[in-house]
Amino acid sequence: MLLEQLINGITLGSIYAIVALGFTLVFGVLGIINMAHGEIFMFGAFIGVIVTTTLGWPLWVAFLAAIAVTIILGYMLERFALRPLRGKQGVSHLAPLISTIGVSILLENLSHHLFGAGNHPFSTTFAEIHYKIGSITIYLVQIFIFVISVILMMSLSYWLSKTKAGKALRATAENLETASILGVDTKKIITLTVIIASAMGGIAGILVGMAFNSVNPQMGLSMGLKGLAIIILGGMGNVKGAMVGGLILGLSETFIVAYGDSGYRDAIAFIAIIFILLLRPQGLFGQKTSQVGR
Amino acid sequence: MLGEFINPYYLQVGSFIMINIILGLSIYITLSSGQLSLGNAGFMGIGAYTSALLTINYDLPIVIGIIVGAVVAGIFGILIGIPSLRLQGVYLAIATLGFGEVIRVFFINWESVTRGAVGISGIPHIGRELFAFFREMGFDPSAIGLKNNQFVYLLVLIILLMINILLVWFFIRQNKSRVGRAFAAIKMDEKAAEAMGINITYYKVLSFTQGAILSGFAGALFAHVMAYISPADFSYHRAVEILIFAVFGGSEVIWGAVFGATFMTLMPEVLRFISEYRYVIYGLVLVVMMAFRPQGIIDVSGLEWLKHKMPRGRVAHGSKNSKHL
Repeated sequence: MLLEQLINGITLGSIYAIVALGFTLVFGVLGIINMAHGEIFMFGAFIGVIVTTTLGWPLWVAFLAAIAVTIILGYMLERFALRPLRGKQGVSHLAPLISTIGVSILLENLSHHLFGAGNHPFSTTFAEIHYKIGSITIYLVQIFIFVISVILMMSLSYWLSKTKAGKALRATAENLETASILGVDTKKIITLTVIIASAMGGIAGILVGMAFNSVNPQMGLSMGLKGLAIIILGGMGNVKGAMVGGLILGLSETFIVAYGDSGYRDAIAFIAIIFILLLRPQGLFGQKTSQVGR
Repeated sequence: MLGEFINPYYLQVGSFIMINIILGLSIYITLSSGQLSLGNAGFMGIGAYTSALLTINYDLPIVIGIIVGAVVAGIFGILIGIPSLRLQGVYLAIATLGFGEVIRVFFINWESVTRGAVGISGIPHIGRELFAFFREMGFDPSAIGLKNNQFVYLLVLIILLMINILLVWFFIRQNKSRVGRAFAAIKMDEKAAEAMGINITYYKVLSFTQGAILSGFAGALFAHVMAYISPADFSYHRAVEILIFAVFGGSEVIWGAVFGATFMTLMPEVLRFISEYRYVIYGLVLVVMMAFRPQGIIDVSGLEWLKHKMPRGRVAHGSKNSKHL
């Protein structure tokens, strides 16, 4: 029982971690909280539903389609909601936040009209396959989700630390102007960051669809808010923090549902946000900076 | 005569406009000290539930219910506001957003008191209570040519209108006072304001709490005008809707929030076919406004232009905020 819950928690936590990574990348480079990330994630999930359930195509096509659509959405988000605000005089730091809130509301309600309200089932061919090890049951889906998340996280870490584009991204995150002087095409890097973050959101969307077997227009909001909670927990713009924070939230939610009151499951994330912000605003792994929230 | 012109539906829409103006003011006043609160929907919920439960369970008069609702929301505002001072900008926005969601989850789960997701119905209606009072006094609405329900809704609208006029007057006065100037200074540059000897802690909590009280007040009025509330009324969407009022109308001047609330409430009513796409349009409005006119439709220079056009208008030396929103 405990082991099973642990596995459930890790599965959920690894999905949360991927969602949170999308937030953390954008925040690290742009210093912006992308409130629309949850909705881009939700679009990814819906593309998954359409491809696998409505069209009956294989799962890998769903992944490709979701990545393609979320990349387009990410590009449009950057082009129309973030770029016009950049480098403009006299715009407060709240403007991009409000702008992305606008995109999130727009996408959520657009999906109401495009896909219809209510729950959509997400059927995969191997949803029922499971293995019994002693007394515990592990579903293949869970292993699949876990493996994909680990691969994603590892490749992102590798990309960030070893490749030229990754280094350019980190340089931009460190200081936009200096990076630009040193020959980094910051405009391109910023667009790339938003696109990568969105694509990760799209992948996470499909994984969530598989894990819960249901997709609805509201899931973006709740997942987005949880992703926010995680990056605050782990420290803004901190890749490692996002992963650990995701696991912590996933495990604590699973255990609250198993051993406590399931109704308060969604409140954990926000109570955590409030306490973390009050006690340790830089997050668990964040460094204290003099200029927070720029 | 009079009765033919008054349609209860228009009066109802008018009442909603009035309540939304109070909500618009609530976010305007926190924005005026440079803080973005997304928890106003939560404070509104606290006010609404407090007042509704008090009047239903303890048979208190509506007036006391509304006042207690606003006060309780204000107390929560202080409790959230003081620790949140450590947070700036986006962090405050997220903490307050989290607060609003926690409040909503509690409303849904605390079923023994709040009746869960179903919501509370049968809340005493301001207009009907007043109507009963008038009838006891021996007043008959048909004496001035009104049907009963017209009279009820008209009463509500008049009361709300008076409250609004009082509030707007109060905040215009406050803006010209030491408090208002302190808010503006903090908004422009917090460090400079502190160096000038402004007690930042006090004024930021004051502005945040004023916003919370106003939201709670609006929520309590909302409960007694709708006669039904549920946790869904105080969700993230409500928080965004309140934000829209200030962002669209203008967050620099008080008339911006008033105009924003009025316009955004009227638009879906006048253009019925838009109603379905309301939130899509809200989203577009936020994005477009941020890109092209972050200070909102009505700003300081726009108001000054109006004052020039007015024959007897004084030209005020309003300091132009360099930081919009």
